Amino acid sequence: MNAETSDAPPTSLVDRTVVPGDTVLDLTAMANQTIKLGAGLRQDCDTISVMKAGKLRLSKPNKYWVESSHKRYAPCVEDTVLGIVVDCKPDNFLVDIKAPTLAFLPVLAFEGGTRRNIPKFEIGTLLYVRVVKANNSMNPELSCVDETGKASEFGQLKDGYMFETSTGLSRMLLSSPTCPVLEALGKTLSYEIAVGLNGRVWVNASSPSTVILVSNAIMNSESLSGVQQKIMVEKLMQRLQ
Amino acid sequence: MEQRLANTWRMTNNEKKFIESVLASDLRVDGRRPFDYRDLTIKFGREQGLSEVQLGQTRVMSYVTSQLVQPYRDRPNEGTLSIFTEFSPMADPSFEAGRPGEFAVELGRVIDRGLRESSAMDMESLCVVVGKSVWSIRVDLHIVDNGGNLIDAANIAALVALLTFRRPDCTLGGDDGQELIMHDAEVREPLPLIIHHLPIAVTFAVFGEGNIMVIDPTHKEEMVMGGKMTFTMNSNGDICAVQKAGGVGVMSSIIMQCLQIASAKAADITSKIKHAVEIYNTERASQKANHYLLEVANQVSLSDVIMKEKQVENLIEHLAYMPLDELENSNQGDALAVDTRTKHESISQGRYTRAFVRGPANWDPYSRGISSRLATSFPTLPGFWCVLLGPKTFLLETEETTLLHAENSLG
Repeated sequence: MNAETSDAPPTSLVDRTVVPGDTVLDLTAMANQTIKLGAGLRQDCDTISVMKAGKLRLSKPNKYWVESSHKRYAPCVEDTVLGIVVDCKPDNFLVDIKAPTLAFLPVLAFEGGTRRNIPKFEIGTLLYVRVVKANNSMNPELSCVDETGKASEFGQLKDGYMFETSTGLSRMLLSSPTCPVLEALGKTLSYEIAVGLNGRVWVNASSPSTVILVSNAIMNSESLSGVQQKIMVEKLMQRLQ
Repeated sequence: MEQRLANTWRMTNNEKKFIESVLASDLRVDGRRPFDYRDLTIKFGREQGLSEVQLGQTRVMSYVTSQLVQPYRDRPNEGTLSIFTEFSPMADPSFEAGRPGEFAVELGRVIDRGLRESSAMDMESLCVVVGKSVWSIRVDLHIVDNGGNLIDAANIAALVALLTFRRPDCTLGGDDGQELIMHDAEVREPLPLIIHHLPIAVTFAVFGEGNIMVIDPTHKEEMVMGGKMTFTMNSNGDICAVQKAGGVGVMSSIIMQCLQIASAKAADITSKIKHAVEIYNTERASQKANHYLLEVANQVSLSDVIMKEKQVENLIEHLAYMPLDELENSNQGDALAVDTRTKHESISQGRYTRAFVRGPANWDPYSRGISSRLATSFPTLPGFWCVLLGPKTFLLETEETTLLHAENSLG
């Protein structure tokens, strides 16, 4: 850590790359000391320091977290993810969500789920699910219903094509306003997409060539800026015609 | 067990169905056509005999080493070639650390067969003393990332490493003429291996009822395919080896068609490899020439170093400044970035610095002999002077700039 960082005003590191050991905030220098910490930050007495490398984000007024891109996923409550059914047990489905351990999906965690209407999933089924429990040393728990008990969009994804990207890219795809690559593709093509925060993306469209085009465009946009993404999609479209 | 279960890479039924259905209409999930090869990148290491090949997502590293051993009894005048594979779990979670798996053995065997059975390498030239000592060539293949089609990538990596490998020259000598003398790389140019042709492996994945063939399958396609066929061919169109894995039967007409495609691809890949190796070799040769000239210059100037009285005085003066010099050296890294402190220091040493800022100064007895000779012979080599003059001159130059900064800000 160089001298510049610690002397700087607390918010100057926002949207910049931080590495473990950087001090982000000094609480003694702040008037309002109520802040909310997210992933990758830690409180050491009066300072807030960084625990993992990534970009520091701030959601006004006081939420801070470090955003980074991984090929693995650390489960977090209320994340929507794409999971693959690995095994069916009497009480739970075992689902792979790219986490360190397999996740449990209780057989009753479906809309109107009772013992009588347990859904049948074969191994390898793709599910769009929500993480409801994520504790240390416990398998994460999933659910196919939202808070109100409705199925909303959750459940099995049929047909289409699923591919794996990094968690950073999937977060970019979900960001609002709509990610440039998705917007540019949507102007000429119609497709259906489901993005899981664990870095899995599912795409479906009426013609297979559209699915291939959309999925490759998304995979290529990992390291591109918004403008570059638009140019890339335009070039792809020209080649298609 | 559960940990392992969570770490294995798996595929959804959606993907399997999609890949198969799309292949029926001659499309592939990565946008290629059935007989398109992925992009091939060949890189070299600092040492000779080290290569890294990237084929799409797949990365393979290869390293060739040699050793003098006793030959096999039935082949007293031939060297040996052995191939070792290393499948790290980092490349693919399904690879187990430790004992080589079934696929690791297959990969090594296919590459070994391609090289050996086609007698691509001249093994007899590796013999030093018949029945006593021959060169044993060892090829280590490290899978760095598994993106599918490891055989082709590993085969190319092995070939590139073998092409760039140089073994030390050795002769018999000594009092009784039986002593083995290894010549240092500086004394005698190390020798390349004699490779007659390049056997290139080209893999096809078989889908459906054995009627859909696809070249260079990706990792996902390998999970879906019914079987695969590897043709090892050279640029002349000779078939060196064929390997068929998986249960699906393939019609002979399709095999003939694949052979034609494979021979075209083999010729294409051969030219790519040769091109890359040629560039590497010329670069290496020019580097060597620089190194050699430097060496000669050093030797020449060494002979006429005579410490005159004035030079001794200079040297003493120089030594007196050494601690300061080293002090400066320690904060050299941020000399330009962090101004304030360095400014102060360089002003305090102003007199000393000014005396040394112009090129190879009189305190260096070696550079005098070199400078006039080489400055004329290497007018077009950027960065050559820094090698020649060492870091000290650089240090002084940067000092000069900081000094200028300081003077500007003061003035």
